[in-house]
Amino acid sequence: MTQKITRRTALTGTAATVTALGVSSCGIGGGSSESDPGSGEITGSIRFQTWNLKGEYEEYFTALIDAFTEENPGTEVEWIDQPAEGYQDSLSADAAAGNLPDVVDMGPEAAYSLASAGMLLDLAEADPALADQFMPSAWDAMTFSGLGGGTYGFPWYLNTGPSFFNTALFEEAGLDPQALPETYEELFEQAAAMAEISDASMIGRLPAIETFGTYGVQLMNEDETAFTFNEPRGVELLEHYVDLYQGQGFTEESLNALQTGELDSFKAGELGWLPGSSYTMQELRDTAPDVYESVAVAPAITDVAPNMYIESLTVSAQSENQSTALAFAAFVSNPENQMEFAKQAAVFPSTAGALEDEYFTEDDGTDDGAIRVQSAAQVKEAVAWWPPAFSGESSAEFLREQIAQAVLGQTTPQEALDAAVDYADQRIETRS
Amino acid sequence: MPRRAADRRRRSRHWARSPWFVPLLFSGGALAVVLVMTIFPFFNTLALSFTDATMLRDGRFIGLDNFRELLSDARFGTALLNSTLYVVVVVPLIVLLPLILATLVAGDGKLLGFFRTAYYVPVVMSAVVVGLIWTNLLERRGLINETLQWLQVLTEPIPFLTDRWLLLFAAMFVTVWMGLGYYMVIYLAALASIDPSLYDAAAMDGAGVVRTFMAVTMPGVRNTMMLVAMFSSVAAFRVFGEVYVLTDGTGGPGGGVVTMTMLIQREGTGLQARTGYAGAISLVMFVVLAVLLMLQIIVQNREGRKA
Repeated sequence: MTQKITRRTALTGTAATVTALGVSSCGIGGGSSESDPGSGEITGSIRFQTWNLKGEYEEYFTALIDAFTEENPGTEVEWIDQPAEGYQDSLSADAAAGNLPDVVDMGPEAAYSLASAGMLLDLAEADPALADQFMPSAWDAMTFSGLGGGTYGFPWYLNTGPSFFNTALFEEAGLDPQALPETYEELFEQAAAMAEISDASMIGRLPAIETFGTYGVQLMNEDETAFTFNEPRGVELLEHYVDLYQGQGFTEESLNALQTGELDSFKAGELGWLPGSSYTMQELRDTAPDVYESVAVAPAITDVAPNMYIESLTVSAQSENQSTALAFAAFVSNPENQMEFAKQAAVFPSTAGALEDEYFTEDDGTDDGAIRVQSAAQVKEAVAWWPPAFSGESSAEFLREQIAQAVLGQTTPQEALDAAVDYADQRIETRS
Repeated sequence: MPRRAADRRRRSRHWARSPWFVPLLFSGGALAVVLVMTIFPFFNTLALSFTDATMLRDGRFIGLDNFRELLSDARFGTALLNSTLYVVVVVPLIVLLPLILATLVAGDGKLLGFFRTAYYVPVVMSAVVVGLIWTNLLERRGLINETLQWLQVLTEPIPFLTDRWLLLFAAMFVTVWMGLGYYMVIYLAALASIDPSLYDAAAMDGAGVVRTFMAVTMPGVRNTMMLVAMFSSVAAFRVFGEVYVLTDGTGGPGGGVVTMTMLIQREGTGLQARTGYAGAISLVMFVVLAVLLMLQIIVQNREGRKA
């Protein structure tokens, strides 16, 4: 993975259920937009931008917009959908030109950057009661202590994923496929054992910032003004990777591998472990049937809490119809509409109590149903480990490069993490 | 007829007396494009390089701080080294190989025509497509490694795409492969201007293929070789697509294959872009290229005087 959260990552979860449920089963939620979080009149036109959703969910969004405009006569919503590639570039071009749409779909890192430049509205300030509508972990993920504690986006949909293991490789290496690793210690132990006996590797990619989080590393200081993942626990994680590489526990390709490369290696039957989602299960079923036959699913590996990805709806601070923009963002992210979208897009809603719905608690006996229930339970415990201040691709790339250098013995783990922390801290400074 | 001639003269005098802006009407379009697309961005980059500007914030003047930071940035050193190596290795190959190729395929005949077309095909392909083709050929499970292992020439795959130097040389190879056809066409045009009697004279003197190539062909296309050297130097120092695709955008393990343009792209794009710092890298790149081109022009002039 490039350490950037891709659309595919964000939209993974319980993909097969999309077709099972279908659009026909539910209409667009009738959640009211009457409780305007802003104080002005809800009228006028706004622009609403999503990230690569038009292809599959055009019907949903068209109905959603119609429902909003019907409830609020005098309003118009222009829906813009940007392609998956270059979304951040598109956002930065719009932001730099002062042309940010009124309501924009984005992740916490992008929201942090724009909020630090004063381009997004602090929603908590606009309406403090909003926080109660969302899961605390989701609301917290969009609340930026480093920016004075403001909340700069309505939590929208969430995602997480279980671990996938190729049990055939476990058996080949003399490991017990019934005792799959659940913690990092177990993972590293079994990875080393696999490397000794088998040509296959357990791990296919270097750790990303969220890996440090799930390992229990303190990523930032309390007030989120400086990074701290070069602390001893972080160095310890890296040392595991160095040891594993020296013991041929993963290949040179892994030093350079992104998420797609890791998935390809797993599909080729060369990897024992794949952190994935139920979309992965469907993909294995379609494109790697041999591997699919021997796949086992287990909870995400973590020593603290599993990771979750979050997508939010932000409101431009420069919006000319701010009340309308706020009302629309609240409408899109209200419990009914989120639930409907979660069922269609195979993601998880961020509204309080939504995961108690039987759709997320009752296994329908299918692989996908089991993963959906397991992932939903995982979301409840999950934390968005990626710090919003960890600035997107550049810091993630720099971290990966430093880790690769440490693994190759060109630098020590401590030096590598010190350099990565310095780099990430500089990025905070340039935005302050 | 005399009346028409008088009309023409009158019109001619009219244009001769035309206002000062008339030439601008003819050149205005091209001038506007150059101003907007080249001159303004250049001076904007120049100004940015002395600021701490980011994508979302106007910069403050910080003097030479960006350039000082460059000196201590290991990634900049790596990128400068890689781009310089690219020029050192690729340019001589791009100057010589297409010339040899052009010499071989010059002339009439359907077979030669076929080869000329075949060599030109990579030119019309995008760097991304070419990169993907070569990635599939060179990767650990790619055609080359699989074939060599099947033939039992190798026991372990060659790490073309994971070893820093092999990866860099693989990218250089792809660049040369892509450029062969383009520069071959330029050389074919130059070869056509060589007096055929010189080849006849060389043959009568008993000169072999190599001697003829060295004594007739190369001097005959010297100016074109200098031109190719200049074009390819600029292109090689600015290499991006081939390295980007072969490394899947990562710059290779540990960022060891990052080039100058990749570094500019990393620092200068996205919401967190440091446009001031990226501008400083661009300015250094401009200066290096300007010096390189000046050196080549000096050498060309000196050689021209000798000739």
